[in-house]
Amino acid sequence: MTATTTTMPPTPRASAPLVARESLWSRIRRGSLWISITTVAIMILLWEVIPQIGIVNRILFPTFSDTILGFGQLVSGGYWWEDLGKTLYAVAIAWVIGVTFGFVMGVALGISPFIRTAITPYAIAVQALPKVVLAPLLIGWLGFGSESKIALAVIICFFPVWIDTMVGLALPNANEFKLMQSLKASRWQVFTKLQLPSAVPMIMVGVKHALLLAFTGVLVAEILSASDGGLGKLAKEFASQLNMSLTYAVVLVVVIIAVALVSLADVVERRVVFWSEESRARKR
Amino acid sequence: MTTMTQTAPLVRAEGVTKRFGSGEKEMVALSGLNLEVQEGEFLSLLGPSGCGKSTALNIMGGLLSATEGTITFSGEPMIEPRREIGMMFQQAVMFPWRTTLDNVLLPVEIFGEKKKDYIAKADELLGMVGIKDFRDSYPWQLSGGMQQRAALCRVLLHDPKLLLLDEPFGALDEFTREAMNQELLRLQAYSGSTAVLVTHNITEAVFMSDRIAVMSARPGRLVGILEVPFDRPRTPDLQTTNDFVKLVAEARRMLELQ
Amino acid sequence: MTRTEVIAQIAIDQSEKKRKKFSPYIVTVGLLPLILLAWWLATTVTKSVSPILLPTPESVVAAFPRVLSAMGFGDQVIRTLLEIAGGFVLGATVGFFLGVLLSSSNRLRTAYLPFLSALEAIPTVILAPLIIAWIGFGVEGKILQAAIACFYAVFITTLSGLGLAEPSAINLMRSLKASRWQVMTKVRIPTALPVIFGGLQLGATTAIIGAIVSEFIGSTGGLGYLMIRYRGGYDTAAYWVIIFLFLVIGLVVYLGIWYAERKIVFWRRTEITRPDLEKQ
Ligand SMILES: Nc1ncnc2c1ncn2[C@@H]1O[C@H](COP(=O)(O)OP(=O)(O)OP(=O)(O)O)[C@@H](O)[C@H]1O
Ligand SMILES: [Mg+2]
Repeated sequence: MTATTTTMPPTPRASAPLVARESLWSRIRRGSLWISITTVAIMILLWEVIPQIGIVNRILFPTFSDTILGFGQLVSGGYWWEDLGKTLYAVAIAWVIGVTFGFVMGVALGISPFIRTAITPYAIAVQALPKVVLAPLLIGWLGFGSESKIALAVIICFFPVWIDTMVGLALPNANEFKLMQSLKASRWQVFTKLQLPSAVPMIMVGVKHALLLAFTGVLVAEILSASDGGLGKLAKEFASQLNMSLTYAVVLVVVIIAVALVSLADVVERRVVFWSEESRARKR
Repeated sequence: MTTMTQTAPLVRAEGVTKRFGSGEKEMVALSGLNLEVQEGEFLSLLGPSGCGKSTALNIMGGLLSATEGTITFSGEPMIEPRREIGMMFQQAVMFPWRTTLDNVLLPVEIFGEKKKDYIAKADELLGMVGIKDFRDSYPWQLSGGMQQRAALCRVLLHDPKLLLLDEPFGALDEFTREAMNQELLRLQAYSGSTAVLVTHNITEAVFMSDRIAVMSARPGRLVGILEVPFDRPRTPDLQTTNDFVKLVAEARRMLELQ
Repeated sequence: MTRTEVIAQIAIDQSEKKRKKFSPYIVTVGLLPLILLAWWLATTVTKSVSPILLPTPESVVAAFPRVLSAMGFGDQVIRTLLEIAGGFVLGATVGFFLGVLLSSSNRLRTAYLPFLSALEAIPTVILAPLIIAWIGFGVEGKILQAAIACFYAVFITTLSGLGLAEPSAINLMRSLKASRWQVMTKVRIPTALPVIFGGLQLGATTAIIGAIVSEFIGSTGGLGYLMIRYRGGYDTAAYWVIIFLFLVIGLVVYLGIWYAERKIVFWRRTEITRPDLEKQ
């Protein structure tokens, strides 16, 4: 290690690359599917029964059937489509801007080890600052419209793309750089033929993470600034009216969207970085 | 029966077969192995890569169970690992969060005995393999050879009756490996334990063993047993004698014959 | 390979040699006055940034003593710290033990992992209105929100970390007839620690976010509550003082966990820097 590089404290993430997912068939064979089904059934039963027999207040804790009714009410109500659209629109715009911004910043600051080292302390500071503290300010400044939502979501979601791009560009080892040098590759060639391809798997992870963070950012802004609408606003309004079955229904919608977005991102990721899984499997 | 065998074998494997997987993916790793290990002897399992040596050893150690056949230790069937059996693997398996001494004392800790009572013995063993100065160092501060020396001390700490050694020095360079083999012979003689060594190095097998069990390529089966009559203690000079070279050639012939 | 030490591992001998005399940290330090200057130019001099968003540096400096000496300020700080710490401890404990539980049974793992993986996707802030409706504006609700926010990171890192032990290490333990408990405490958990610390660090960051958001939405006290009040009074300078405070809290927590990791998982870094081990 040379003295001029530094160890950045880990910027950890929570994903489960090491936990293998099993196929449906092997789950059935090993009996774990039955455990899943039974557990879900028991949960739903408890969800249904506990409020009914009065252990908890049914108004605050609606039963499963109440929730399903609320869900039907919400979906058939019609008015919520606009809220759904507003949320998804803000997430999409913020995600695109955040990813672009993060990528450009990652390339600009990550291409040279020198700059990377120099700005590492600032990166740590940006990482350590809980960026939601800016939410009320942005709402105050940009108003209650979608601009403030998007701004907050961009600020929250560009960070992992930035860091992952920067780190990804640094992944090739000294020997790989030496190989490129021995071929007299230009700086641009080193970037496009070595650094960028090595970075893609890492960047994809950041891009996926950014999608979730953009969703979080938009929801926070919506919950805080009730007037523009969106799923966050709906959840807050219903909750403050103590209309809990509709609140549950909105939460359910958010969960479904989030899981769908992540699954979609997973599929795209697997397509784009098809070699990553292969080579990982080989190494084992 | 006219005579009771005076020395009942320590380990007896009868018709041991091991299959991995099932259906189309079934793989026979070991097929009908019959083998007896006598008390106090040094036996080598010699065979080409992938012939099931490690599988056989793991079954003897109780880490794997046989698909068919029986295996007994001191007359009792092996169904699980036993504390009278010490195992050593190709990797030293030193935990980086423990000092050398603590790594050596690991078995005692697992057995729930008092560590204090064994420190003197651990120090003695570390001294015998020449790494006493490193007792308080961490594994990453030790070379590969030193780590294997420590692993050797660890396996000998609780005086196992049987040592099962799976290419313990396979990852080391030639020089260190030879020195370690000497070390091993010395310590095995000193502790009087029985040893089964897995190797695919013919010279090593001849130099170390009283008997060599030669195995065929997959599916692994026993080709024959080679007696090695040389006196102990053995010195490296032995390897240049005619008898030694003849035995090596014999073993090679058995390996190639199958 | 995690993104952990990567910044340190970059093409070391590549362009570094030429620049040896000139430390990048000179640039690091030099950037700070530049940033402050830019801030000053943007606000005080050119007035090109709305004071609602970013006040002048002078006014922020002036606001520090005012905010810090305000009545009951210490109580608000303590309250927020309590929420963060409580939520972190609760969420991390549950996450850790659930990780241990699932790692010790293949059945349970395959049965529950799909559901628990879905948790990765869920933006936990959506639960904030629910939690407030359930248990009100008090400290407990914030602790719960923070705990939910940080649970997943610790859980999933524990689960994957516990699977990292080498098969040879497990075989050694089995040959010694070690109990499951011994394998867990003497091999699996120490092996997992570096990964778990990564989860703790992420979890702490998200716990802070959970507590703040919950305070923003509705609270009877705490720093988030103060911020909403200052913003309501258009006291943006005071608001920025609390932003700095959160920066300090975030940094202390982040670097604190990092430092704890270096002390507790002492073997890891040394192992990495040992050159002849890198070959493998
Ligand atoms: N757990 C397992 N599952 C499936 N197949 C296995 C397993 N363990 C070993 N095998 C297979 O059984 C065969 C014998 O393996 P084993 O490790 O015993 O060979 P070996 O003689 O020790 O080889 P080497 O000298 O390379 O160590 C190999 O073909 C291997 O692929
Ligand atoms: Mg083997």
